[in-house]
Amino acid sequence: MTDYVFLFDLDSTVTKQEILPTIAKGIGKLDEIRTLTEATMRGEIPFKVSFLNRVSILSSVNVSTVRQIVSQVELNPHIAGFIRENAERCYIVTGNLDIWICDLMKKLGMEHHVYCSKADVKDDKIAQVVSVAEKELIVKQFIRPFVVVGDGDNDSGMARLADIAIGFGGVRDIAPSLLRCVNFAFYDDRRCADFLKTLL
Amino acid sequence: MKNNVTIIISCAGMGTRLGIGSTKALADVCGQPLILRQLELLKDYDDVRIVVGYQADRVMQTVKEYRKDILFAFNYDYATTGTAASFCKGLTGAREYVVAFDGDLLVHPEDLSLILEHEGECVGGCEPTTDNPVLMRLNDQNQVVAFSTEQGDLEWTGLAKLKTDRLREGTGHIYMMVEPLMPVDVIQIRTKEIDTPHDYEEAVRWVKGGYKDF
Repeated sequence: MTDYVFLFDLDSTVTKQEILPTIAKGIGKLDEIRTLTEATMRGEIPFKVSFLNRVSILSSVNVSTVRQIVSQVELNPHIAGFIRENAERCYIVTGNLDIWICDLMKKLGMEHHVYCSKADVKDDKIAQVVSVAEKELIVKQFIRPFVVVGDGDNDSGMARLADIAIGFGGVRDIAPSLLRCVNFAFYDDRRCADFLKTLL
Repeated sequence: MKNNVTIIISCAGMGTRLGIGSTKALADVCGQPLILRQLELLKDYDDVRIVVGYQADRVMQTVKEYRKDILFAFNYDYATTGTAASFCKGLTGAREYVVAFDGDLLVHPEDLSLILEHEGECVGGCEPTTDNPVLMRLNDQNQVVAFSTEQGDLEWTGLAKLKTDRLREGTGHIYMMVEPLMPVDVIQIRTKEIDTPHDYEEAVRWVKGGYKDF
């Protein structure tokens, strides 16, 4: 057995749909969110700025509604299966908000294995965002060797620090900046999960 | 699916001698990029890995439109390292046997399976044809016992099926990784290596003519 722990980006790596655009679709703000998401994935807008803007666009929706939508988001079955089967060695590292993804994390068995952004809630609405997760700083805290799986520009920092870095392009294209610092890339969910099993 | 074999195709290099400005895996051979001609012969194998470097994006785009269940490994030091370095980038988590397959090698469609399905380790040899061949000296049991640029019986093709747990990491040429494992069975196959514009013309003529030598 190896010593690796496995750190996964959430959006379009574990999920088969992109979370924020899925929420936006429900309230007719898809175009606004998509433009910001695309620019962020390409690394044209810093993640923190873009994320706060996107949260602000979605803040009119009840938190319970968002949580419900997020918990129904379709997952990549084989990657999600790997996480469930090896929960003690897997972690989710995402910029997404705790209050939105908590039910989804329970579904994945990751409720105690998630690093994410945090917000306060008042009357079922976001009162304020308290912190925005910076993935590179989070993974620096790990003292065990780790494997990173991600797809976006904001996964590049943790990929650079990883013992093994994997780009997953099964949902959307792998960000060019990330492609320059991964050891492996996959475009098929099952193939990616099969490879992860060889690293256990 | 054949489950105890990992196949690693090395396509990281720049292919400067061919002079088409793109990596040799993308060279068009009778209407189809070379890498897709190779993948067509590997339909029955489910652990196929492609090592990319120069023009990685273009190679990956071409491949994933044809077949998605590929592992891509990266060798960004392609300008300063040899084929063994690329090959080793794809070795992580490989199965019992691993097959080294150069991205510039066109193999007769009937011959690749002779290597892939051979019981145990083997390397592919062909009649010497290239300008600067690496030659293999064989013993009377048809096994390679020495590699040389001076003399030998058959030319080394770069194609080899080796036991993963016997391999030691290398950065030079793949045949140098075979040397400590000798003697290894040799299978004679028909191939065309595409290094130069002349090789390319030969390869196209070969495919057009139904893989017959003239």
